[in-house]
Amino acid sequence: MECHILSKDKVKDFLNALGNYELVAPLTRNGVTAFEPIANPQEAELDLINQPHPPKRFIFPQTEVLLTFDKANKAKEPKTRAGQKQQIIFGIRPCDARSFSILDPVFEKDYPDPYYLNKRESTILIGIQCSQPYPNCFCTSVGGDPSSSEGLDLLLFDLGESYLLEVITPKGEQLTKETSSVLSAPSADQEKEKDKIQAEAREKIQRNIEIQAIPEKIKEHFDHTIWKELAEKCISCGICTYTCPTCYCFDIQDERIKGKGARVRIWDSCMFSEYTLHASGHNPRPTRAERLRNRIHHKFKQNIELYGVPGCVGCGRCITLCPANEDLIENLQEIRKL
Amino acid sequence: MDNQKLVDEAIKILSQEDVKCIIGYSKDSNGFRVSPLFVRNKGDAEKLFFSPLCSMSLINYLTLEKGNFLRENKDAQGEKIAIMARGCDSRALMQLITEKGIAREEVIILGVPCRGVIDLKKIEAKFPGVRTCAEVTEDQDTYRVCFDNESHEIPREELLADHCKYCAFPNPLVHDLLLDEPVEQKPANYADIEAMEKKELDEKHEYWKEKFSQCLRCYACRNACPLCYCDNCILERLSPSWVNRSVNLPENVVFHLARSYHLAGRCAGCGECERVCPAHLPLMLLNRKLEKDIKELFGYTAGTDSEEKPVFASFNPKDPEDFIL
Repeated sequence: MECHILSKDKVKDFLNALGNYELVAPLTRNGVTAFEPIANPQEAELDLINQPHPPKRFIFPQTEVLLTFDKANKAKEPKTRAGQKQQIIFGIRPCDARSFSILDPVFEKDYPDPYYLNKRESTILIGIQCSQPYPNCFCTSVGGDPSSSEGLDLLLFDLGESYLLEVITPKGEQLTKETSSVLSAPSADQEKEKDKIQAEAREKIQRNIEIQAIPEKIKEHFDHTIWKELAEKCISCGICTYTCPTCYCFDIQDERIKGKGARVRIWDSCMFSEYTLHASGHNPRPTRAERLRNRIHHKFKQNIELYGVPGCVGCGRCITLCPANEDLIENLQEIRKL
Repeated sequence: MDNQKLVDEAIKILSQEDVKCIIGYSKDSNGFRVSPLFVRNKGDAEKLFFSPLCSMSLINYLTLEKGNFLRENKDAQGEKIAIMARGCDSRALMQLITEKGIAREEVIILGVPCRGVIDLKKIEAKFPGVRTCAEVTEDQDTYRVCFDNESHEIPREELLADHCKYCAFPNPLVHDLLLDEPVEQKPANYADIEAMEKKELDEKHEYWKEKFSQCLRCYACRNACPLCYCDNCILERLSPSWVNRSVNLPENVVFHLARSYHLAGRCAGCGECERVCPAHLPLMLLNRKLEKDIKELFGYTAGTDSEEKPVFASFNPKDPEDFIL
């Protein structure tokens, strides 16, 4: 694997050299840290631990205009955003980067989705190896790793004074050519350091869950009372789904004022009772038990059957951010015990 | 609070034939997080506890789902639910009772005098990454925070939830039994609201613009609220659609103003909306501004008088009307 050295004092120059791209990076603004578009490379903060909100929205936005219409002109304009400017998501964690390889088949197969795919194709992901996992991280249980390069174009390893920059894809290689003036060659010691960091990071993951038996358990115990018990604390809000890097459900609405308007696609959440509400008034998932079961079923059974991987990267956000202390890992453990 | 008293009372209540469930706080927690606990047998009653970490309001579970899920038999008449309630929670209960959202005889209220609770966001920022179960005790001005065999003394002011700093009703106003001695009550204090009122319009506009543009529209503020229990919520209506589903600044503004106005004269001040918000929106500023206005205009404070009709369900010829256009 081709590697380079990027000295920490040259990160700013590295990002400046990429001035032709739209840059997204983690930063703190008014006390809130998040992935945001940045105009000034100095704003990027790479030493922050992983962010409460994943950068999914830069490829699959929460609100997206699909087309606009004007009744007076009988005009309909689709917005597929072809020819979109290339963007770089800088400082993304391996779990969030992996989420795109879980989302890709959803938007590619059967009905290719130009809105997602155009943005996906014009996005370059520069990841940073995760040396400070959250207490609720469990990526290693769902096929990930704090040093995973899946979905990434370039991956940075923090060596203290500098970063070791690993090239993953041709897109990433192209970037290193554009920034070659600020990169240097690594020494053999520095490459060895990388192996040590990888091993250390794995050790820091505190939580884990064996998921092999889960799909069968869900199938076998679909009508079990456990779902009601597990859902008892849930308050049916959308925090777990809206902060999940792999949730992709959406709704489509026509929003208009006086004959002018737009067809918009907005995130939806299977935890809302309205999500499955029929026009007749019937709701096939009337209580929180069916909704929580659906979320676990989708992520740990259906996604595996359809795409071969669980619909979860183990980032732990749904656990950390749940206002009622629902704990996905504990819930899965209860299901395993059945 | 004497925890044994809580456990003993819980066991006593559970032995009553008409009580099938007690809603309280659980010791089975991780880090600084406390879980709600639904106690249905005496063994589980041992897990009940209360500490300054119990920042969640439990009242919402009484109205969260239609055809109350807590009851063993949905049609059972006279089946009661027991629930732990702090001062603010008791206001929410009282408000629900006066609105006929719940019936007084359906609940057994275990009153918890409360000196304020810890803001989880503040304590997690102070001690990041703690996973082992932490314990917190308090004295007059300090919290003692213990985890991983370490003990830290932190000034109360540093960790206390913002809305608790202004709380005028720390003792349960309605209860069937009190689990501790009443604590000192302070007069209503709207210093935060007065400071906001003094700001220039432009400054306020900039402040809220920045806050509202962070909203995720996850509906956690609505779902966590003990007083948000409408079958048909204005924020979900599609025909007519009062609030569009697009997530952007204008729609987010309407979303939050509609929500806070629907709680005018009803908000019990428990701070759940603010506590659950993943975008850190200061929603209690809106709720408390309306509480202050209604107090000044109508001399009414929600959830403090079981005899009084809800402010917007009553009419007095002397009601001020100079704000009506």
